[in-house]
Amino acid sequence: MPTLLAACGGGEAASSPAARAEGDGAANALVVDSWPIYIDDDPEEGTVARFRAASGIDLTWNEDINDNNEYFAKIQPLLSQGKAISADIITPTYWMVPRLVQLDWLEPLPLDAIPNRVNLLPSLKNPSWDPSGEYSLPWQTGITGIAYNRAVTGRALGSMADLFDPALKGKVGVLTEMRDTVGLLMLADGEDPANPTFERAAGAFERLQEAKESGQIRRFTGNDYIDDLVAGNFGACIAWSGDIAQLALDNPDIGFVVPEEGGMRFADCMVVPKGAANVANAARFMDFVYNPDNAARITAAVQYLSPVDGVADALRRLGGEAAALAESTVLFPDAATTSRLRTFGPLSEEEEARFDEAFSAIAGA
Amino acid sequence: MAEPTPGQRRGRLAPYALLSPGMLWLVLFFLVPLASLLRMSLSTKRSRFDFDPSFSWDWSNYGDVFTTWGSQLGRSFLFAGAATLLCLAIGYPLAYWIAFHGGRWRNLLIGLVVVPFFTSFLLRTISWTVVLADNGTVVRALRGAGLTDVLRWLRLTDGDRVLDTPLAVIGGLTYNFLPFMVLPIYVSLEKIDARLVDAAGDLYAGGAAAFARVVLPLSLPGVFAGSLLTFIPASGDFVNAYFLGGTRSRMIGNVVQDRFLVQLDYPGAAAISLVLMAIITAAVLLYAKLLGTEELA
Repeated sequence: MPTLLAACGGGEAASSPAARAEGDGAANALVVDSWPIYIDDDPEEGTVARFRAASGIDLTWNEDINDNNEYFAKIQPLLSQGKAISADIITPTYWMVPRLVQLDWLEPLPLDAIPNRVNLLPSLKNPSWDPSGEYSLPWQTGITGIAYNRAVTGRALGSMADLFDPALKGKVGVLTEMRDTVGLLMLADGEDPANPTFERAAGAFERLQEAKESGQIRRFTGNDYIDDLVAGNFGACIAWSGDIAQLALDNPDIGFVVPEEGGMRFADCMVVPKGAANVANAARFMDFVYNPDNAARITAAVQYLSPVDGVADALRRLGGEAAALAESTVLFPDAATTSRLRTFGPLSEEEEARFDEAFSAIAGA
Repeated sequence: MAEPTPGQRRGRLAPYALLSPGMLWLVLFFLVPLASLLRMSLSTKRSRFDFDPSFSWDWSNYGDVFTTWGSQLGRSFLFAGAATLLCLAIGYPLAYWIAFHGGRWRNLLIGLVVVPFFTSFLLRTISWTVVLADNGTVVRALRGAGLTDVLRWLRLTDGDRVLDTPLAVIGGLTYNFLPFMVLPIYVSLEKIDARLVDAAGDLYAGGAAAFARVVLPLSLPGVFAGSLLTFIPASGDFVNAYFLGGTRSRMIGNVVQDRFLVQLDYPGAAAISLVLMAIITAAVLLYAKLLGTEELA
């Protein structure tokens, strides 16, 4: 099957080193594969347009990552055969980075060509998913916590125990993103997801299984939890901070909380796939978005936590609504909140398979 | 024996020549993929990210289909069967009325059956999540009429909601596949010579008898075709269960999607697909035998 798929893929030309060196007319191109609504997309003032104007590089911004695993399955046929995909930068979630490095599917970043990388927040330097920091730069980061709709719950929620409140039976959603759901349940169990082992997660899986069988959990969702939450089908669900920050602007009933037991911190990372045709242009783009002023415009639009230092000041400089965001505790969590956040630690290939199988048996059945 | 003349030979070869584009198509796009699927289903992955599993007569992939995914498999046929029966119950009277009482509006009416399907399959399915939302009018009306308790007792729904329950999945399947039932039945009914019904009347058959002994038997090929066109895609469907189903109403199509795209378990996904195919083939053959369609068609 992979061979069949690969045969349909093309992409041969881009992988030839000669073509890359000569540039064959594509020298001024740059293709980025990212997630939906993850950049300010104003056709004139947006980051894509401003980067094009500033660099003269013909940037193509694709919103074609909807799920890490599905995207991985999509790029796998070409990359596993040593062929390049069309994108020069892709933005998978942090845990995918070590997998891609191990498979030798990434180019090291030309760090010297990205002077603005010094603006990377100190807390994100040499992260567990890329200890040497040579393969990835975070695009945006975020918090996974609990979102609730007060019109259904009748109250604000505060802890993971609230998700298991019998009053919310059949009104609770959890994410298909394994590390988010299992990570929060591990925290609720008093376990540290930053150092995960299957044994430590056993309690989390058990609780998940029970909640599914009892009908407490209504659905496992991707980003579509937003619709269920707004419609009132969910009273509460595991959710991503940026989404809820945007939703809450229009709907005062909707709230987000980092559970008492702790929340998960994630990052979606810019990496350069092996054989990418425009590595130098990719570096220029990364440098561009690591300028705090440029980063602030992205933050103002997507409302996720910027990995770039100095964004709060840059937002104040932008003034207006953007300046108000500089005071947001969701975008700039205080030290007390930050200390309650964990990032799911790296898993060996075998451990990851065990986690995924156990999760799939619950979520997929 | 005399050698065939060149003309005779050409005559004998002509049918094969005419068949060859179709045969080539079938070989390329049915037999080759099927063989590749079969090979994959008997292969073993050497590691988690082995994208080209090696062929090894690994029958364990098939064992897992029933041990691990038996409930989803059973549920798929149950849901698809229920949807097919509902489509028949809704579609037959509809086709009958249009064929015999539609008069000059027949073509328009049949057109109207199809019109909603000009919209994307995905969008139509997602729209049902709005219609069936917990605070929507449908659910409120059902609640008001006390029907949610009945539905829950029938194990078709969960709590007092409809969305994310088996009922919503079966409803979605019925809605999405209805035209595939209506059109073939309509075609077979429309072909019936009205004089046959008159003749039945002349032979003292009442309306019901004429229907049971003349119209129904003549329309069976349409019922047969319609049931297959509904049941087969419905059993493998994953979109309806994905959007309209909850954690306890997932179908085998969802499992294939998860095995293939999330777990990258190509051998497992291939084995499930082939088992699904084998069961459907067996069911179709049995159905054909029961309905005796060969004589009717």
